[in-house]
Amino acid sequence: MSGGAMKTRIAILFCALALGALARSSLAYAEGPSARKDAVSSPVVHNSDADAMRVQGELRYRANCGRCHAAPRKFPPRMMATVLRHMRVRATITDEDMRLVLFYMTQ
Amino acid sequence: MDNPAELEWSLVLLYLCKKAGSRRGLRASLPAWTLLLFFLSFATAQAFPQSSDEKPVSILTGTAGYFNFITAGQNQIDEQVNPVLLVPLGDRWLVESRMECEGAFQRPPGGGPYGGQVSKNLDYAQADYIANPYVTVTMGRFLTPFGIFNERLYPIWIRSLQQDPLILPLSAESSDGMMLRGGFPASAKTNLTYAVYASAVSTDHNNLQSDRNVGGRVSIFFPGTRVELGASFQRLLQDSRTNAFGFHFAWLSTRLPLNVHSEYARSNEGSGYWVDGAYRLSQLHFWQKAMRRTELAGRAEQFFMGSAGWEVAQLWGLPAANTREGEFGVNYYLRDGLKAVASYGRQFSPAGNLNLWTVGIAYRFLIPLGRSGAQ
Repeated sequence: MSGGAMKTRIAILFCALALGALARSSLAYAEGPSARKDAVSSPVVHNSDADAMRVQGELRYRANCGRCHAAPRKFPPRMMATVLRHMRVRATITDEDMRLVLFYMTQ
Repeated sequence: MDNPAELEWSLVLLYLCKKAGSRRGLRASLPAWTLLLFFLSFATAQAFPQSSDEKPVSILTGTAGYFNFITAGQNQIDEQVNPVLLVPLGDRWLVESRMECEGAFQRPPGGGPYGGQVSKNLDYAQADYIANPYVTVTMGRFLTPFGIFNERLYPIWIRSLQQDPLILPLSAESSDGMMLRGGFPASAKTNLTYAVYASAVSTDHNNLQSDRNVGGRVSIFFPGTRVELGASFQRLLQDSRTNAFGFHFAWLSTRLPLNVHSEYARSNEGSGYWVDGAYRLSQLHFWQKAMRRTELAGRAEQFFMGSAGWEVAQLWGLPAANTREGEFGVNYYLRDGLKAVASYGRQFSPAGNLNLWTVGIAYRFLIPLGRSGAQ
């Protein structure tokens, strides 16, 4: 087998393994939040926690959204959830930033 | 570093950068990228929980605009509607697309009624799958992640000046294929973002054209100072098989209502840069109601011819000679998503200097296609 063909096979093998690993991680991520409790999305949020999250959310809203455009006003919660998912992809906002901004914009 | 995972991130990225810089190039670095994917997929143990209680609703959004571009005394009426459809599916899918419908009308030489063509382009139609907090997989037609203008600053209600930067055509604007992208905190004070993609050649349909190419972009963002630095790379895998690379910078002041963006790009067809800034007059103490809605914007840019020659440059939509341009404008926000714009620019080139005037209005609309959850 030529060196080029061997390299191609190795590359294909690596890609297949990577896709498998990605699928595995996606399943783990989809299993639900029970194993990944975090204050950001906890349904029971104490007032002080909520205040802290709002402050963090506002900071991240200003830092992330204002980098490209004039900061928009708040929209209804379900619209905001879609807009944030879009911006997560478009502006590569981190997962944590997206959740805090969503909390700030919908609470 | 706050936790050991961050050190692992740094080591993996360091290894990748070293590999990408080696002579063996992309094929040699493929196993390294695969290793990164592996790491990403097993790193979900410390993942953030997913969605909040709010179920996202489909949205029809986009922009509409009416502009007069007066170039060297010749008026062009530009009308455009650019609808964006966002359809979230489940917790981790998003199908999104943007169409650009633009009519450009001019009087013929010697006078007569305005005439012209209406062009329709599909800018992107993509399915995004949020695999985990670090990786989003995008499939379909997507905006090429090269620099920041094409992906983030292009919509008419976002850009501070309506003229395209001279170097915008240096990289493909849309690609058809697959992309991996994401952003994650590298430390308490820095976020890293990346995008890597492969695009297939598509020539069958005028509105879906793309080149066969691979590329990527990486950037680092400092939330404290709100500074972003990044680099982009693209390799064409057809015809001339040339490379393009670029750097970008963005800064949002924490003290002043000022933001600055800049890009540099270089390819076989040419090279150049632009720097633009927008300053909101909200800090002025007089006429506050009007001043806080007013924004001053300016841009300086330069284009240098590449080795491919002026015929190729023109084919790509680039200037046919070395060109310098300065532009200054005023934007007035009538309400959220609606702004009136006016600007003046001067272009200097061996082919002739000319004035560029722009007057118009840009509007962003947002319509929920279902119950929006409004109180």
